Amino acid sequence: MRALRAYLRSPAAVIGSLLVLAVVAMALTAPLFYPGDPLGLAGRPLQWPGQNPRFPLGTDPSGRDIAAQIFHGARISLLIGFVATSIAVCIGIAIGALAGFYGGAADTALMRVTEAFQTLPNFLLLLVLVAVFGSTMGTVTVAIGLVSWPPVARLTRAEFLTLRTRDFVQACRVQGLSDAHLILREILPNALPPVIVYASVVMAVAILLESALAFLQLSDPNVPSWGNLIGLGRNVLRAEWYVSAIPGVAILLTILGVSLVGQGLNDALNPRLASGR
Amino acid sequence: MRVFRLALRRLAASLPTLLLILMGMFLLLQLAPGDTVDALMAQMGGGDPALAEELRRFYGLDVGVAAQLWRYLVRLVTLDLGFSAIYGKPVATVILERLPPTILLMASSLSFAFFFGLVLGVLAARRVNRWPDTVISTLGLIFYATPSFWFGLMAIVLFSVYLQWLPAGGFGDITQSYTGIAAVLDIARHLVLPTMTLGLIFLAIYLRIMRASMLEVLSLDFVRTARAKGLTETRVVAKHVLRNAMLPMVTLIGLQAGTMLGGSVVVESVFALPGLGRLAYESVVQRDLNTLLGIVFVSALLVIVINFLVDILYARLDPRIAAGS
Amino acid sequence: MNGPTRRETFLLGAAALVPAGAMAQEAPRRGGVMTVHFATEQRILNPSLQASTGVYIVGGKMQEALLDLDAQGNPVGVLAESWESTPDGLTHVFRLRRGVTWHDGRPFTSADVQFTAMEMWKRILNYGTELQRFLTEVQTPDPHTAIFKYERPMPQGLLLRAMPDLGYISPKHVFEGGDIRQNPANTAPVGTGPFRFVQYERGQHIIAERNPNYWREGMPYLDRIVWRVVTDRAAAAAQMESGQLLFSPYSALSIADMQRLGRDPRFEATTRGNEGNVRNNTLEFNFRNPVLADARVRKAIAHAINVPFFIENFLGPFAKVGTGPIPSVSTDYYPGVVQPQYGFDLALANRLLDEAGQRRGAGGQRFSLRLHPAPWGEDIALWSTFIQQSLQQVGIRVEIVRLDAAGFLRTVYNDHNFDLATGWHQYRSDPAVSTTVWYRSGSPRGAPWTNQWGWTDPRIDEIIDRAATEVDPARRRALYADFVRAVQTELPLWMPIEQIFVSVFNRRLRNVANNPRWASSTWHDTWLAS
Repeated sequence: MRALRAYLRSPAAVIGSLLVLAVVAMALTAPLFYPGDPLGLAGRPLQWPGQNPRFPLGTDPSGRDIAAQIFHGARISLLIGFVATSIAVCIGIAIGALAGFYGGAADTALMRVTEAFQTLPNFLLLLVLVAVFGSTMGTVTVAIGLVSWPPVARLTRAEFLTLRTRDFVQACRVQGLSDAHLILREILPNALPPVIVYASVVMAVAILLESALAFLQLSDPNVPSWGNLIGLGRNVLRAEWYVSAIPGVAILLTILGVSLVGQGLNDALNPRLASGR
Repeated sequence: MRVFRLALRRLAASLPTLLLILMGMFLLLQLAPGDTVDALMAQMGGGDPALAEELRRFYGLDVGVAAQLWRYLVRLVTLDLGFSAIYGKPVATVILERLPPTILLMASSLSFAFFFGLVLGVLAARRVNRWPDTVISTLGLIFYATPSFWFGLMAIVLFSVYLQWLPAGGFGDITQSYTGIAAVLDIARHLVLPTMTLGLIFLAIYLRIMRASMLEVLSLDFVRTARAKGLTETRVVAKHVLRNAMLPMVTLIGLQAGTMLGGSVVVESVFALPGLGRLAYESVVQRDLNTLLGIVFVSALLVIVINFLVDILYARLDPRIAAGS
Repeated sequence: MNGPTRRETFLLGAAALVPAGAMAQEAPRRGGVMTVHFATEQRILNPSLQASTGVYIVGGKMQEALLDLDAQGNPVGVLAESWESTPDGLTHVFRLRRGVTWHDGRPFTSADVQFTAMEMWKRILNYGTELQRFLTEVQTPDPHTAIFKYERPMPQGLLLRAMPDLGYISPKHVFEGGDIRQNPANTAPVGTGPFRFVQYERGQHIIAERNPNYWREGMPYLDRIVWRVVTDRAAAAAQMESGQLLFSPYSALSIADMQRLGRDPRFEATTRGNEGNVRNNTLEFNFRNPVLADARVRKAIAHAINVPFFIENFLGPFAKVGTGPIPSVSTDYYPGVVQPQYGFDLALANRLLDEAGQRRGAGGQRFSLRLHPAPWGEDIALWSTFIQQSLQQVGIRVEIVRLDAAGFLRTVYNDHNFDLATGWHQYRSDPAVSTTVWYRSGSPRGAPWTNQWGWTDPRIDEIIDRAATEVDPARRRALYADFVRAVQTELPLWMPIEQIFVSVFNRRLRNVANNPRWASSTWHDTWLAS
């Protein structure tokens, strides 16, 4: 409760929450405001926002309603961001927990793998994964998750290294509780807060990675993602720059919101360091 | 020299990682549909299957995967990176040709992001919670949230097409032959927009870290002591605070090296820079295994070297840390 | 180089009002550097080994072919001065130009023609291997005569039409005695052309300079040509606008930018000079999917797509409705508007699908298909989206599968793992070169842009074979008309859109687009106004 109040006291965190809520609201109300297929032919292509009262944000190069794509795209971006982040966090926690808890040979081996993933430029790995497994939304999401887990693993490992020497853990060990119990029920709940905060960074990066892939025409063309729209707008950038600008602003605001929320959570959960942040 | 021995030890420790990366990428790319001959066919716009078979033999693709991997690793031991399918030249030559633009871009982006991140972070921390801080922090967040490629495209439209202050891309003006200072200035002009584009997100990160780090250090005891001694604020900051506050920044450089290399793929594509990033993308699309693995090898080495230098710098800045850690 | 000042713009605008005839009387100015947009880097630059526009744009200025096309599109001699053929089509004699030297000073002789034809065109050159399949030898009775002997009749029209693209000559003394494919001259061309190779910086640029010993007196006018590698379309358009590039060939800019620059008085965006580079957008069907094996379904799909609407709204003035695999620019073989054609008719489409037994199910959907678009060309992406949207209207759900070039070729033409595919069919001046292979059975698995649909028709095979060796031009034309009629009826694939590549010029360039394959041609008479 104290954390919640600390969170709400920060204006930045509140603004962030509002932004995120706005995006979620768009995602939820999309079928209400724009029933039908957002990727269907709606009108003449490349109409400017406001030029036709039916299309407040104009139409894209394929004659589709941009406003419809922004609303439906909110679902896609949030979905991709959320699922990719979950995958990254799950893998990262699993590896970090095992490495931090057991130490020794397991730690060395797992850290080598983590190091390998971190030394390799993550966007490069993403390109190869997409070339291999294709550009459907599912594979793109999994691929983004697969390149984003290393920092989470390091963070989790650091937490576990600190926590496993604590008294309450020793107490549980004396009681004869199993390793699995220790990891999952005792240490993990305490290690989670910084990881959850970091998850906001992972989510921001995931959304950016998806839009970068879409920009390079490597994402799923069958879904109305914001990144796809930016990629489409690339060809008409000079004169109809709004096609790329509008989804770019949407991405910007979403990531801004997610980052502010993450920052707010960080400050609220670590009151000691909150002074002056 | 001790540093040299340390370097060798670090390299030796990284070898299993390097091997893991290379083998992983090799096997992964095998799974991609189509090979380099298919990519060549696409470029040619046609060709008959007898030709395709002959080309496969020519590129060494007619043996099994395990054999190809073995051949590659054996060559690697002698530091022979193989032949590039796209360029018909040794991979080492190709990479050396494309390295300078990428190194220049990364170095200038890093410097740009580090310097301005430092300055802005200090400014924000000095006026914490007042309007300069709010403006700078908001700006930082906006930079962080802006997709780099979008910023790059908009920058080209504004600065190259409308204002015509800066060139729209390329690495230099080849219609003129510049030498000496003129050549350096010409390249510098071409790198202004790419540097800003690539450095933007890192600028935001360094800004935030520097600000947070400054605030933490400013609240420590020894700073109060320095102030009590009557030193001016500027002296306090410059002599005592900065050195300590910079430590997290320095660590970050090492962590961000790999990400920066990945980010250069898109920036080099938007600004038509002949660097490693775009070469990597090309080699994926054209299934040029040797070139891709060569780039992975070189970039991994680069990251390891940067991390090593960062550790040395860190030890210099913080005398509490023994150089061997 | 920055854009024009206000004064320059005014003058240029005024110049645009001057009638073209008056402009043509300007005296060519000697000197200047022409910067060209080079969008896709190639592995080699030798047009004797690789037949593609990406190679001609560079290699075609340094190496020359036996023939080229004149302003009317008729074959005109370049390295060959005159030619004649026997009525049986088995012997073709070329008399070669005298006084021509290679860039390294050695003389050009018939030995070079023999070597190139037998070792390069027949063995390696894509489309050349097929064209020269029945070439048995090239006799060289003297240094300026080359006699091509065939074991099956080669129609003179076919050979002459194919020579500008498939007739480039390479120097024997550079390539003999070694692996032709590994020869460094493949990326540093040695030729007889108006420009000499200087430098190739991978990923950056290629530079060529004037050949002072060029056989055409007083030419070329340009001092240098610089090809700049720019892979990003938007960046290339920006460089055109800022004057860093003077010429962008082969529709390498986005459609919107081409239209916009065309409206700018400083530039010209036109299909002029590319009439020999025509392509069709295709819609390919995989017969292995039993739904598509039914002709009614294929025809219904065709009727469901409003092609004129698509062209008007998405492709602009650079495309027109196609009527079959032979495009309308082919004066020798275009059979006119042959029936059947498949106009936009939603009611008919729905009816055909019902008749074929594909009734609408839950949610109005009949069945779903996977569409594989080729990853080159902005028009293909727009076209595949339009197909998806159109077929949705008749209850067919289309999923677009994105792959890169290698993946696309492997998945479609080798693995046959697709339902619909769409790409380009490039017409290379004669149906026998690269058109009929899309329909003829017998192509081995994995050969791209050939019949991989799981469909054969022996009757169509027979027409194709007869036409390929028919020496009489009138009979040949009639055979190709039969061919088009037959494939339009069966519709194993559909070619509803015809496009000519677009060139975008800075108007300072003169003597441009003066033959139907100008971008691939030698540019010996191109000059740059100040």
